[in-house]
Amino acid sequence: MTRPPDFLVGLSDSLKGRLVSHAAGVVFVAVALAGFALSFEANAPAESAQERHLESYLELNGVDFGDPLDRALFRESLDRFYPGQAARNDSLLQAIDDARVRRWSGPGLRRGDTNRGFSPALLPEIAWQFAQFLLVYILALLGIYFGAERLGLYRFVKWKQGRESYLGESIRIVREYRHARANSRVRFPKGAVALDILKALGKGILTTLFFSPAYVIAYALKTSVDTSSLPFMILLALVSNGVLIQASNRFFELLVAEDRKGYVRTATVKNLHTSYEWNAKEGVPVRVLYRISQNLGPHVLRHLYENARFQFIPAMKELGSFLVTGLVIIEMALNIQGRLSYNLLQQILFGRYDVACVIIFSIFLAVKGTEVFVDTWHDFERRRYGF
Amino acid sequence: MDSSRQFLRQSLGLIRRRKELAWFCMWCAGIGCLFLWDEIFLNAPAFDRVRAALFNTLVSGAGAVFLSLVLGWASGAAFFLLEQRRARYSFALLSLVANAIRSLPQVVLVLVGYVLLNQLILAEIIRSETAQLAWVTVTVSVAVFLEVSDTIRSRLEYFRSLEFIDAMLCCGISESRIIHREILWRNSREHLLHKLIALFGVAIFLQCSVDFIVSVGLSTNVSLSNVPLTLGSLLASVDSKQDILALSNLFSDPAYITEIVVRHLQGVSAAFCIVFTLVCFFMIANGYARSRRLNGP
Repeated sequence: MTRPPDFLVGLSDSLKGRLVSHAAGVVFVAVALAGFALSFEANAPAESAQERHLESYLELNGVDFGDPLDRALFRESLDRFYPGQAARNDSLLQAIDDARVRRWSGPGLRRGDTNRGFSPALLPEIAWQFAQFLLVYILALLGIYFGAERLGLYRFVKWKQGRESYLGESIRIVREYRHARANSRVRFPKGAVALDILKALGKGILTTLFFSPAYVIAYALKTSVDTSSLPFMILLALVSNGVLIQASNRFFELLVAEDRKGYVRTATVKNLHTSYEWNAKEGVPVRVLYRISQNLGPHVLRHLYENARFQFIPAMKELGSFLVTGLVIIEMALNIQGRLSYNLLQQILFGRYDVACVIIFSIFLAVKGTEVFVDTWHDFERRRYGF
Repeated sequence: MDSSRQFLRQSLGLIRRRKELAWFCMWCAGIGCLFLWDEIFLNAPAFDRVRAALFNTLVSGAGAVFLSLVLGWASGAAFFLLEQRRARYSFALLSLVANAIRSLPQVVLVLVGYVLLNQLILAEIIRSETAQLAWVTVTVSVAVFLEVSDTIRSRLEYFRSLEFIDAMLCCGISESRIIHREILWRNSREHLLHKLIALFGVAIFLQCSVDFIVSVGLSTNVSLSNVPLTLGSLLASVDSKQDILALSNLFSDPAYITEIVVRHLQGVSAAFCIVFTLVCFFMIANGYARSRRLNGP
């Protein structure tokens, strides 16, 4: 029997299987992208032999073909190397001039295309851009993880309080007033209704903001804010494209699903706290919404939260992929120069698919890295809880 | 008179009970009000563009959802059958491809689709606008169909854990009929419909985003920016971008809102259509899940 590699020792069988699957996926995508790039390379119009020949002259050190003296010296050198072939040497000089014109007025240059295909010299530039992309991605992912848990928890507590809809609340107040007015003279609670309507309006604006595509928000703020700065990028990734609201909704649903399970009733019978009033004696402290580590004491919400959190961990894989989509859209749509996704767009624009494939592979690795991390974390938590 | 009042009351009661219906009505009303406003204040050519863009976006989104259902159904059932028949190598190969698609960000997949579309246009294989829109629809569906596939796999797995399949096999019902008819059609339609509604929003988001990117970032490449008008490409046009940029004036002068809703209508209408559609379809999917108790309260 063969011994597994050292890095796999101590891991559960399911995690080992997943890691092998991830590794196979990386190899598969690398091969597929290489094939894609090569097929485009093969179909691209090849540089003619004459062009390559002229390039060798244009790259001569110390010769400026725009300078009449250099031109005259070059012409004399040609006569020395190829004596008695004046017509051939004149044609060569004319061809060099034409190549220079093409070099400075070609369609690619007009679009800003100054580089050629992939070369190892491009790697440090791509690596730096990838590092910036990764930094924004990791910070935004952390923000979404904690934000989604807190928002989900907040919604769950409001749901348990029966106060999920502010408009519903204001309608309830009006109905109660109408009912009370029939029996006695009471004043209409204008303040409470106005406050609920304002809250509903604020909630609507926030929901609209959370669902707005990043480019709509960024263009609306472009004249007032530096939209290419890293903090703005992170904030935009957090609040736009519906990522945070979808993640919080997922966490909320997990909490609700947990709330329906039998152990909640058992816990209630065993005298665990079940009140969901904010900061009440046996209720939920408001600090759970902003503290990183949760300590809910003997409240049943503690168990709901821990079980929901455990199930929420695998969802981070999908969220990671969706967040990367959002980041790519932000960088591309805002044309932020010097960023990885903008570079990818430029490479596609200039038809340099080999460089584009390298960038796509780096983005793929970011998602794959998240998947490996999440699988390992989930496996660790599973063993911690003894599943 | 009484019967019409009763019908109205029943309809209102139904809308109040089922949030998905309420949000669908709200979406229709919102878009209707926008069109009415645009009819009055927006010039006719721009209004035509907004209508055409919304129509193309909705048609493409619906097409992507339908194709995702077909692809997801086929792949989900294939996964299940391969696992059931212990075809390890075929299952591993299919998993490899599915995991690779899953790990590539959706926007990258759609962009690759646009690159291929560019090649097809240059080779004059695809010419008509309808064919271009169909290509984009297929591309978006390839990027999102795995979500349907996952739903189908989880439903099949759930029924396998109940020994539903073994019991039916013992009754002499064919495997194919158990999967397609008994489990997916008879017992999973609501789950699939919920997933498809959610996917409609994702498809529209992806399509608008990539169209916006392609129109802004690849505008020098004529063939790529010649795809049919959608909300994304309409928003990327110079007029619309200026309309959106004008929104920042609201920070310094909130009274400028009166100008926004009259003078900057093309961009604001396109942005409103995108955001309002995304919000409403998220709420419809959520409301549907709640009313059917699929995964919410």
